[in-house]
Amino acid sequence: MTQGSDEQRWSRLMVSAQAGNESDYRLLLTELSSVISHFLRSHFGNQHFTEDCVQESLIAIHQARHTYDPQRPFRPWLFAIVRHKAIDTLRNQTHRQKVINDYRGDQQVLSLSCQHNEAENEISKGDILVSLSPQHREALILTKFIGYSIAETAEKLCISESAVKVRIHRAIHKLQLLLEADE
Amino acid sequence: MNNHDSLIANLSRNLAPVPPPPNINKLAMLWFCLSAFFVVVLIHLMGPVRPGAFSQLLKEPRFLLECLLGLAAIIWVCQLAFRDAIPGALTKQFYAFGIMLMVFWVAQYVIGFVSPALEPSMLGKRDHCFTETLLYSLPLILSGLFLIRRLYPLRPVRTAMSISLAAGMLPALYMQLACMYGPSHILTHHILPGLLMVPIGAAIAKLWRPHRDTPNGK
Repeated sequence: MTQGSDEQRWSRLMVSAQAGNESDYRLLLTELSSVISHFLRSHFGNQHFTEDCVQESLIAIHQARHTYDPQRPFRPWLFAIVRHKAIDTLRNQTHRQKVINDYRGDQQVLSLSCQHNEAENEISKGDILVSLSPQHREALILTKFIGYSIAETAEKLCISESAVKVRIHRAIHKLQLLLEADE
Repeated sequence: MNNHDSLIANLSRNLAPVPPPPNINKLAMLWFCLSAFFVVVLIHLMGPVRPGAFSQLLKEPRFLLECLLGLAAIIWVCQLAFRDAIPGALTKQFYAFGIMLMVFWVAQYVIGFVSPALEPSMLGKRDHCFTETLLYSLPLILSGLFLIRRLYPLRPVRTAMSISLAAGMLPALYMQLACMYGPSHILTHHILPGLLMVPIGAAIAKLWRPHRDTPNGK
């Protein structure tokens, strides 16, 4: 199905949902959940936070549904919400020891050229992460994707904690710009 | 049933109809017109405007241009603030042009140090123009934020800063007619309080965050 026909169908379904039609709304959200999921996986790889992000995006779409104007295209409205939620979810990622256990070793994770590790494969699938500088990428991956604390990351990278925070902040800002440019 | 399916079922159950979306441009213009009316009436009630100010608009083309530039900048910033409250409605170009227009307008008063649009004079000076600008813009900010909160600003603080800039600059602009004309006085007593409303608006937005309903649309 083409983008144009998707656009028109989603717009029609949303207008129907705004009027209170439950089945159209269910259909719309079901279609959008797979679109959002695909969008996130293509940009970030199959990360542990993508599922959370899809759900956050669906809730945001629900809360913002009164602002969709059928005179305007649907995609910019949808992806503005999804991009915002993706960055928001990434920013709010905290220490997750469980995720660390899924990885076999830090060095493998940090080296994107090594393809043996399954987790690395997932990270390298995220085209947007490859666009980051190596320093920003490793700070972001260690803290937000693997789940190390700022202190642990600083120790591993042999830099100060404030330098880690600056790198994460800049990486997220860069991701935000890359996502906005990718309309 | 996976997590997504149960969430979708939850969100679509007992779905409440929502009112049709507002025309964002008309809403912005309505806020602007009511705010402008409020400011003009209040300034006239609180003191006389500078004698001959309106005839200067007709006689001095550069002064007229300066005022029209200010008006255009405020309307543009007002439009961008309301668009910012709708996901995907504000483009980067629209935002950048609004800020550029505002900077260009304020720059006219800096240029005025070298070549003023009107001969600087103390005629019509209001004693409390600084405080007046601050106070008159507060209700405008609150009413703007009230309208914006009902939409869905993804960056509520940035949106609040934009609406506060428009609200702060509205009395600042009318003070060019109501108070004395002098570039340094304009910058320190009219423009500065207008700009001060930007961080104040941001602080209000931080404290008065949009209430977002829980997932059942009720």
